[in-house]
Amino acid sequence: MPPNKRSLHIESSGQLCIYCGACVGVCPLNCIYLDETRITFDEKICTRCEICVKACPVGAIEIG
Amino acid sequence: MAKDLSTDVLVIGAGPAGSMTAKWAAKGGARVLMIEKRQEIGSPVRCGEGMSKSWLAEVGITPGKWINLEVEGARIYSPSEKVFEINEKHAGNEVGYVVERDGFDKALAIDAGNAGVDIQLKTAATGLIRENGRIVGARVKQFGEPFEIRASVVIGADGFESQIGRWAGLPTNLALRDMDSCLQYRMTGVDCDVRYCDFYLGEVAPGGYVWIFPKDHGLANVGIGVQLSKIRGMAEAKTYLDRWIDAHPAYAKGKKIDMVGGGVSISKPLNQTVTDGLMLVGDAARMIDPLTGGGIANGCIAGKICGEVAAEAVHQGTPTKEFFQKYEKGWRAKLEEKLFRNWLAKEKLCTLSDATFDKVIDALADVRLQKLTVHNILKAVRDKYPEITKEFESVL
Repeated sequence: MPPNKRSLHIESSGQLCIYCGACVGVCPLNCIYLDETRITFDEKICTRCEICVKACPVGAIEIG
Repeated sequence: MAKDLSTDVLVIGAGPAGSMTAKWAAKGGARVLMIEKRQEIGSPVRCGEGMSKSWLAEVGITPGKWINLEVEGARIYSPSEKVFEINEKHAGNEVGYVVERDGFDKALAIDAGNAGVDIQLKTAATGLIRENGRIVGARVKQFGEPFEIRASVVIGADGFESQIGRWAGLPTNLALRDMDSCLQYRMTGVDCDVRYCDFYLGEVAPGGYVWIFPKDHGLANVGIGVQLSKIRGMAEAKTYLDRWIDAHPAYAKGKKIDMVGGGVSISKPLNQTVTDGLMLVGDAARMIDPLTGGGIANGCIAGKICGEVAAEAVHQGTPTKEFFQKYEKGWRAKLEEKLFRNWLAKEKLCTLSDATFDKVIDALADVRLQKLTVHNILKAVRDKYPEITKEFESVL
């Protein structure tokens, strides 16, 4: 992780995530990917704008 | 091993807009392939399942077993729960059915299949193929196997998360105020009224509303949409929805049997939905009504036009941006004015305080409006609460 970036964690093991794809749709840089039951994001592209954090209806995305 | 395919029209996404587009393109005589990334069309459901009904015949959809029930009207609740009832006579087409969305999507896919559309499941688009600046197909992965599908016309019907529009370079990005975060429970053992779809406005759902769409006696979809520009922390949709349910004994006593979430666009119409070789349709084209958050009707209405234009483009060998203006103009003629008007209304409604909401709904509830016109609504508000007329006028 680049030193100037805060950490972003997407909990997609199913404890919180309901795989609704809201985060994917709202990401302005199109760097979140939903593959059935796995959500990943591109560490290099992500600017930590936090829009996905707000959009996640269940709070599965955390920024540190 | 290469199993590259070619077709006239490739439709990416088998939701209502995709199936409608595919069906009408096939009826126009084109060879059509519709791909769906999931293993089951229509599932999992990500929808409140309420929809209007007046438009169904126009686009060739026959009511089927996917209808749970037909409601008589809608009830709008102000923050202090004064209620304004909109029944079918007043609202025209604004109320209608509560549906089984997975059944609805499958019925439309069956229509498409019966019209000659080839359908392939577990097939996700991974990129677009470009030649000489035009889109000529998509790279896909089917059961993990990558290959290419060449097509004269590519249709992006891939929903709110649309990748196709972004890959095509179309301006589909949304402002925070133009997005909602939504969550819904299906609840059993609740005291819902099967005659009505209910909407609760105000601070209970910042920038959005709480909805109750009855599926049966004692069974309802209880959901919320909150606007991203109005919320701050994590899990706000869930927090607000749980809070609302806790405060309403008729629902707090219910049991949750299902939970769905998702994003909804509540934006102005896009400036551009076509480019050389490609058209966007439905939620992918941001056609969701920004006031209600409903996307099915608009997606289907645009889908019919999109399919017809796609077939014509195939026959004439003109899958160009210029030719696709026929679709661009066609869907705008039907939807754009209302989308824009409702976007403005949404923007204004978000600025009203709970106190103003209460007065507006109270004024409306008092009068038995013969017909729900701007004039009648304004008059009712002006007569009872002249002090808020000015603030409220700008909404209309």
